[in-house]
Amino acid sequence: MPPRPRPEVPTSSPKHKDPIAQPKMADVDVLMPSQGESSSGGISRKQHLMSTFEAYRSELDTDNERRERLIILSRSITQLSKKLIFHLHRNATSPSPQQKEKCLREGRAKEREIWVNFGKIKDELKTIGEGREEALQGYWRWNRQVSPGLEEYIEALSFLYYLENKSLVPLDVVQKTLSSEDGEPLVIVTPEDYILGMSDLTGELMRYATNALSTGDHNTPLEVCEFVRTVKAHFDGIPPHMLYKLSKKQEETTRSLEKIEKVCYALRLRLIEFADKPEVLAMMAKRALEDAAEREEKGREE
Amino acid sequence: MSVETASSSRAQTVSETLSSAIELLENDQNLKKQIRESIEPIDDLSRSATTELNKLHSAPFSQHAEICQNAINIISRTQPLWVDVAKLIPENEFYRYQFALGPTMRNLTTSIVLARFILHDELTPSHTISTLLGIQNDSTSVLQLSAEDYLQGVIGAVNELPRLSINAVTSQNFELPIKISSFVNDIFASYSLLNLRNDALRRKFDSLKYDLKRCEDVVYDLTLRGLTKPRE
Repeated sequence: MPPRPRPEVPTSSPKHKDPIAQPKMADVDVLMPSQGESSSGGISRKQHLMSTFEAYRSELDTDNERRERLIILSRSITQLSKKLIFHLHRNATSPSPQQKEKCLREGRAKEREIWVNFGKIKDELKTIGEGREEALQGYWRWNRQVSPGLEEYIEALSFLYYLENKSLVPLDVVQKTLSSEDGEPLVIVTPEDYILGMSDLTGELMRYATNALSTGDHNTPLEVCEFVRTVKAHFDGIPPHMLYKLSKKQEETTRSLEKIEKVCYALRLRLIEFADKPEVLAMMAKRALEDAAEREEKGREE
Repeated sequence: MSVETASSSRAQTVSETLSSAIELLENDQNLKKQIRESIEPIDDLSRSATTELNKLHSAPFSQHAEICQNAINIISRTQPLWVDVAKLIPENEFYRYQFALGPTMRNLTTSIVLARFILHDELTPSHTISTLLGIQNDSTSVLQLSAEDYLQGVIGAVNELPRLSINAVTSQNFELPIKISSFVNDIFASYSLLNLRNDALRRKFDSLKYDLKRCEDVVYDLTLRGLTKPRE
């Protein structure tokens, strides 16, 4: 049998720098007996395979443990983000400006708490290797574990930002907020993450608008309506194959917008009718809202 | 009407913010599309290799080596194509596009492992596959064969072996089933070392059990009829 040229074993590949994984596959393979020897029996092949797969086991174990830790961090980000959103809903519609301001201040503090968790994600990814590159590579590798939390966070942040500025948080601001003090990104916010987050924002704004109505705040529903309409119009222009998840979310946005528009319709009529009696307005708006909810309930039963 | 003008200029800003984000999304999606397209010619070659290897089931044993060598040669023609793929992928973002590349890499791994088992009676190590695909060069260093893809690809090759074992008996080749059975045995033992999660690899691993059983059944049938050479 002619001697088969043995494949060259790379001594150090730049891709394999994980200090945790023990013997690398490439190193183990050096032990592979040459063709002549291996024909003497299957035992050596088996032994060789076993040591190769032990290396795989430690690699997979390391990966699994890391995956678990990232999932836990992502979940706690989701939970904290949900809490932030509830916090904002509870207090943002307060008629007193001081109360409102306090709410937003507390909201910012909560946002920073979540930010700390993104820092932990960054730290976790840094353990993959010494360099920045490994962490970045790791970010994309573990993106699926991180993104649910990120999406919820973007939703919460954009809601907070809307309440603070009555406007849409730009993508670069989201990225900046999710960076360390020296400007290094903790995680990477893709346009996809951002757009999906903005789509979720419309649902929160619908709730915000209806809450605002019951406290006699008439400007908010009209503003929100305009805002959500703009968002929906832009997202309608994105073809479904480009972002499948969005086309699902757009249905929800459409429903939210319809609710807001109904509220605005009732509101506009009352505003004309009772321009000089704000307390009557508040009462009526609230009733309109309840009617809308009832009608929807009925619609669902049918 | 100052409120109205304020709100209309706000709407203007919102529009601009959204438009620029959508533009970025389009760029991202276009790149994904380009990458998917760049992998197509590789998939074509991969399919040709699979077709070539399918001949193993019907061709006489004397042609096996040639068939396997042909398949390997077809696969080595993917090397320049991988360079094209690598050019599209931004540095460190391999895993962002792995969803598009992984399946192809797995299929190629399957073909290489199968061919090289017939040729050399060995399990091709991961780095040898990378070398054969030419994804360890300077121009392709952004690409990598992940452990997950390699491990899945190997099982794909094993899935092919029970059939090959049965067909070998039909064409009166009584040595191949024994070689196959021993190989599948070694691989099953190796995979048993892994702590698998409840994922795709785990499901693939579950299929190994049945493959092993089918391969052993063939050897049993042969032994029963005295068709195997006595083992040393």
